Amino acid sequence: MAGKSKGKQETFIRELLFILAVTIAGFALQFVIGTLDFAIFAWPVNIVLAALLLALAFIKPDSAAGKFGSGRVSVILLVSITVMSIYMGLVPGNDVKHSWPFAFTYLMIMANLALTIGRRMRNFKLKRDYSFMLNHFGLFLLLVAAGPGSADMHRYFIRVAEGQTEWRGEGEGSQTPKELPLAITLNDFSMEEYSPRIALIDKATGETQPSGKPSLIDCVEGTEGIIAGWSVAVDTFEYRPRMAPRAYITATRKAGNSVLSGWVSCGNHFQPFSVLDVSEKLCFAMTFPEPKKFSSDVIVYTKSGVEKKGVVEVNKPLTAGSWKVYQYSYDTRAGRDSEISVFELVYDPWIIPVYAGIILVMLGSLTLFWRGGKKE
Amino acid sequence: MSWSEFIYFAAGSLILWYNGTLALYKSKNALWGNLLIAGGILLFAAFIGLLWASMDHPPLRTMGETRLWYSLFIVLVGYATYLRWKYKWLMAYSVVVSTVFVLVNLLKPEIHTTNLMPALQSIWFVPHVTVYILSYAMMGAATIAALIALWREEGKEGELFALIDNLIFIGFGFLIAGMLMGAIWAKEAWGDYWTWDPKEVWAFITAASYLVYLHASYANIPKRKALLIIPLAFIMLIITWLGVEYLAVAQESIHSY
Ligand code: HEM
Repeated sequence: MAGKSKGKQETFIRELLFILAVTIAGFALQFVIGTLDFAIFAWPVNIVLAALLLALAFIKPDSAAGKFGSGRVSVILLVSITVMSIYMGLVPGNDVKHSWPFAFTYLMIMANLALTIGRRMRNFKLKRDYSFMLNHFGLFLLLVAAGPGSADMHRYFIRVAEGQTEWRGEGEGSQTPKELPLAITLNDFSMEEYSPRIALIDKATGETQPSGKPSLIDCVEGTEGIIAGWSVAVDTFEYRPRMAPRAYITATRKAGNSVLSGWVSCGNHFQPFSVLDVSEKLCFAMTFPEPKKFSSDVIVYTKSGVEKKGVVEVNKPLTAGSWKVYQYSYDTRAGRDSEISVFELVYDPWIIPVYAGIILVMLGSLTLFWRGGKKE
Repeated sequence: MSWSEFIYFAAGSLILWYNGTLALYKSKNALWGNLLIAGGILLFAAFIGLLWASMDHPPLRTMGETRLWYSLFIVLVGYATYLRWKYKWLMAYSVVVSTVFVLVNLLKPEIHTTNLMPALQSIWFVPHVTVYILSYAMMGAATIAALIALWREEGKEGELFALIDNLIFIGFGFLIAGMLMGAIWAKEAWGDYWTWDPKEVWAFITAASYLVYLHASYANIPKRKALLIIPLAFIMLIITWLGVEYLAVAQESIHSY
């Protein structure tokens, strides 16, 4: 018994040293080469890497390499990636996610998963192994597709004016426009806004009153409310196309019997704002209307001849071939009068394996409810 | 069928659920509790079915409608887990959470009046957040149980080990489910499922810490030592939930609105 546990201790130390050596090699590369350029994993490197990792599943579990698929190794790797992530989560401005040691640890985790899946496959029993397989194979697929697979992702930003067709856009972080494999016609951009609101503001600090617990009144005709002892009524509210919203309000101070009334407006790019003064220090003002929903009616053309009509909205991208078109922005100075819409175009050929991995792990998490902490 | 009838169905279901849960605690025979709870579930599902039939699309568009499904699903999950593991408190807990959502729907049918920014207006919002909250609750319970077990003398932990492992496994299931729903949502909203945003980094740290516990027995870590991982992981969880906005890295976050 003692001899056996001593042997285990030795393998443990060997595995620990191996992982340490790989991590140190990562740090060395980081020093010499600098940040890892993710583009090196672009097709076909990522698919070859995926195949090599999968091939690990055929290695004999008792061989020296096969032992790397053990539960011990998974604990060391998980502790290691947790420590790196804590650094990533604490130190501002770090680039751990693009560093060599982080990438090597990620790689070792994928290898560990592939090896352990391979071992389980050797005498697979559905009833015993289904939960393990869903979780670990799903995670393996997810890690491969979302890691090296993401090197094939392309994203561009494209600005289109109403009634125009545009096929030039900018890549991430670059300002030079280039021709894209996709063109977009913008038929119409439209936007819904929340009502602007009336607030009592400290002119010096800009703080809304009562300080710390501000109260605001929706600018809807006929609304009344209380702000810091003032009873405020919105008598009229006007919001015409291309004009800034404005409201005629009447404010009555309960104590002191003072009544104030006048126009307030938040202004826009062309018109100045106006406030209703209460004192040297305070005034009533209108907040800018906040966007509630914005969407674009578009036609998307791909080089392969796909033509797709549809509406793109935040949270509701449009799919055209392997591309997805996202509503990204608009001319924020013009607000709802914007005649420009900005789209984000994302090409993500690995999205299917990513979703497949997500679905498998989700099913795996359901098995956890059922099985609980029961060991096999 | 319309929302104005909701109050009758909801009140009926809640009365059945509360009495059913009480019956599980009080009565030796579980039959009454089971009947009452199942009756409540049927009544609630009937409302959703009738509402669906009266509209031309499934009631999944507005926040109020997604909360409707959640009120039902949370009780279904709590009840299924009770049937499997006999944790009455989990059943009671899920009925309370369901009540909160029913009340929100009665008192504030449309969350849109509070200026929800466009990216948050997604059908994933409610399940993503609530599954996480559910997981947090179970991990909290597991942490308390782990501290009690550590407090006791070695060998006198009784049933606690089994309880702790059940809580951690089930809680981890919810944690992973919440995380993956967040990833799907992020893909819909921002075009990328994972960007190592600070909130995501800490969610990852939390999940990885619990994974260390789940796999600890393989590294020959004795059970009592492994229990120490649970409060540590819970600290990570609290940072993810409440602490991220206070960290220096938070300025880089898209999760703070
Ligand atoms: C969704 C996340 C995961 C869950 C729910 C999970 C759960 C589990 C469970 C319950 C077992 C024990 C199975 C049994 O008792 O037979 C196990 C074993 C194992 N897991 Fe995981 N795990 C996850 C992620 C990972 C990761 C990220 C790694 C790699 C770093 C990993 C590596 C392993 C290994 C090597 C074993 C040992 C398998 C064996 O020796 O047969 N797991 N896992």
